[in-house]
Amino acid sequence: MNTFIEAFSGEAVVWDWIIAVYLFLAGMSAGMVMIAIYLKRKVIEGRAADNGIIKATAILAPFGIVVGLTILVFHLTKPLAFWKIMIYVNTTSIMSMGVILFNVYMAVLFVWLAVLFKDELLNILNKFVGDKLNFIGLIIDKIKPLENMLEVILAVLAVTLAAYTGFLLSALKTFPLLNNPVLPVLFVFSSLSSGAAASLMFGVLVFKQSMHCPSVKWVHGFERPVVMFELFLLLCFFSGLILGGGQKEAAAMAAIGAGFWAGWFWIGVVGLGMLLPLILNFVTSEQTRHTSSFLFMVTGLSLLGVLMLRTFILYAGQMTVV
Amino acid sequence: MSCTRRDLLIGTGAIIFTTGITSVSSRTLAAVMSDGKKRYGMVFDSSACIGCTKCTEACRETNNVPEGVSRLEITRSGPIGEHPDVKYRFDRTSCQHCDNAPCVHVCPTGAAYKDQATGIVDVEADKCVGCGYCLVACPYQVRFFHPETGSADKCNFCRDTNLKAGKLPACVLSCPTNALVFGDLNDPDSEINKVIANNTVYRNKVELGTQPKLYKIADGKGEIKR
Repeated sequence: MNTFIEAFSGEAVVWDWIIAVYLFLAGMSAGMVMIAIYLKRKVIEGRAADNGIIKATAILAPFGIVVGLTILVFHLTKPLAFWKIMIYVNTTSIMSMGVILFNVYMAVLFVWLAVLFKDELLNILNKFVGDKLNFIGLIIDKIKPLENMLEVILAVLAVTLAAYTGFLLSALKTFPLLNNPVLPVLFVFSSLSSGAAASLMFGVLVFKQSMHCPSVKWVHGFERPVVMFELFLLLCFFSGLILGGGQKEAAAMAAIGAGFWAGWFWIGVVGLGMLLPLILNFVTSEQTRHTSSFLFMVTGLSLLGVLMLRTFILYAGQMTVV
Repeated sequence: MSCTRRDLLIGTGAIIFTTGITSVSSRTLAAVMSDGKKRYGMVFDSSACIGCTKCTEACRETNNVPEGVSRLEITRSGPIGEHPDVKYRFDRTSCQHCDNAPCVHVCPTGAAYKDQATGIVDVEADKCVGCGYCLVACPYQVRFFHPETGSADKCNFCRDTNLKAGKLPACVLSCPTNALVFGDLNDPDSEINKVIANNTVYRNKVELGTQPKLYKIADGKGEIKR
């Protein structure tokens, strides 16, 4: 327990665990949106808004991005000055570009959800505000013909957002482990993996989508190749560092060679988050796999693994300076 | 002559357009900020430094730097050699005033900037929101949050204190062994350029392309740790 506290209270770390939670939430939001758009266009038959996974996305994707950004604002040393980051722009700053991306992503996400859930939205408005806001329905009808374009734009924004969380860190020359071209790709796939896990957990367990329907089956089938590719990316990530020599090698060895963060990585990120779900899905019978408790455990492990990966990258990354 | 007035106008327009674009893009894309009238730099002579840390104290006093943080550190390593010929080595850790400064590139608000007139890398405290991106982006790890203002802070060669008053930076003035030389790197006749020309100098982490303006003279013993 002492090493646990020591590992997290390192004074040298400017960006701490709360930033890892933000990276996780933003990534999950983007991953869920990517999956939901694919399901709506290629898999779901009938009204998409009736599908549990789409409903889960409608709640969790905005939740992830709004809570993530709130965390960020309160992590500033001057939270009340956060608006300055919106009005001043620096084109060479990945963070400045990210702020614009976040705003556009959020706006397009809310418009897309409003088009998808028009009836539900109007029902809620009627219930609480009366019919004064019925013009919103008319506006949604005007946007409706643009739905296809909106979806393509949102999908591109979601991929960019997932990659952005990686670019934010890979821009740092200071830390060889972070200053790594594989990082944005790794984060895109880890956000897909967390998006898939969250879609299943909330789509099936909360919004009661049947486990036998095509959309749930598709996400299930999608999970395994994503995790396997993630493992391959981790291999590229660390072999690239080790073969690079010098401080790159030192950074990689300090991170996964020995010590607290090595244990965190091998047992938590790789073991619990990736290998255990793969193995559990492989060895259990189809009957077991279709129980709620099994689904909860496997998706929970995946989500935990992704959160642990983001925490690991952040802390182990800031351990070794170039 | 087939060159009509219209052709001439289109031609000049095209030239202005293309050259205009080139000059803008070379400034933002190449991201090298070496233009400007003066380029202030510093030499730290490790062979002259005795590690008294007068510079650290003078800096603290002149620039009102609170306890617990510092814009300037003198680090001691060693001992080198065998008794009785034992020597310690001293090094200076402070802002290198990079011509190609990572902190300036990553700052989302432009609070971290390079003063075009002096080449000094400085912080506009009021614009800074305290995201910490510059603290992690600096390969020399010399930036910190000012405990009172919450803004990122670091050495600015006393730009708003001594330099403004026409004096040399506090550390330079306080050094009893003249281990620090400050001056304009753009001026071929300046003392700093003579010191650089007449000594074997090195700069930290030049391979990162940061183009730092803090030069160092080694103490003449052992390997240089860059």
